[in-house]
Amino acid sequence: MAERATKERLLSVLDDLEVLSRELIEMLALSRSQKLPQAGEDTQILDLLVQRDRELQELMEVGREQGRVQEEMLLLEKEVEKRDSDIQQLQKQLKEAEHILATAVYQAKEKLKSIDKAKKGSISSEELIKYAHRISASNAVCAPLNWLPGDPRRPYPTDMEMRSGLLGHMANLPTNGVNGHLPGDALAAGRLPDVLTPQYPWQSSEVSVGMLPPHHGNDFGLEPPGHNKENEDEVEAMSTDSSSSSSDSD
Amino acid sequence: MAVAQTMQEKESEDCSLLPLVHDIIKCIDKESQDIHQELNKLRTKIQEAREQISNMPGIDTSPEEQQQQLASLREQVRTKNQLLQKYKSLCMFEVPKAS
Repeated sequence: MAERATKERLLSVLDDLEVLSRELIEMLALSRSQKLPQAGEDTQILDLLVQRDRELQELMEVGREQGRVQEEMLLLEKEVEKRDSDIQQLQKQLKEAEHILATAVYQAKEKLKSIDKAKKGSISSEELIKYAHRISASNAVCAPLNWLPGDPRRPYPTDMEMRSGLLGHMANLPTNGVNGHLPGDALAAGRLPDVLTPQYPWQSSEVSVGMLPPHHGNDFGLEPPGHNKENEDEVEAMSTDSSSSSSDSD
Repeated sequence: MAVAQTMQEKESEDCSLLPLVHDIIKCIDKESQDIHQELNKLRTKIQEAREQISNMPGIDTSPEEQQQQLASLREQVRTKNQLLQKYKSLCMFEVPKAS
């Protein structure tokens, strides 16, 4: 059975004291007025009164001590609240740190993916520069500076190059027919050196070979009718430049 | 120390009803007319004691229960202190301020 609360006990003792003191006073007053001899009952009540009074004082002392303990408990409760607040603050900071770290890890993973992807399709800079010179030399990306209408050097991409590009794929153009209407294309294609035939890592083999018409593959090896020495010299000069610049890049 | 003890004795005397009961018995013996006044004093004293008890802090529980609560609170403070100390000794987080 749980111990009774001190307040309850104090009030109970106080009630007892009130009842006992009233009984004692009434008894004494009655015995005085009626001149009756005291039968010793008042002594018993007096003893009880003294006992209860002592209990009351003891309990009051206990109550005061509990009051002091209560003050200490209030201080401790404030301390606990302060610690809780500190812990919550720390938890908030940890959450923020977690969020920042998660973002950083995600970005790092993305970068690693890009690095892996770049490593898988790595292209040597030398090859890239060679190819750049080659397509420049063939006037596939821009016309020669002194180009005029009637100049057999072409200021436009060849039909094969157009078809191997993205637009050619989208349109899914038929491979026959168009070629015949563009004599300059064959001319220019004939002018391309044989080194264009090998595949580069960034070129899709399907595109470059698959898009080539079956009868068109030999055109590369043919000497074109409009072939002139001047153009060849120019190409040679560019090739030399590219190889020298490639060497420089190393 | 002596002052504290004197105050404690005074407080004990203050909450005792025996002096007032003694005064009343004396009045009955002497058949004094002051008995009504003494009776009123006793009644007032009991009423004051009731109010004092009602306003005393921390006596809604028994001393044993209160000691348990105190021990529990001390334990909580100790545990939370340890936890904070542990977190603080781990590492510091510097959160960049949003510009």
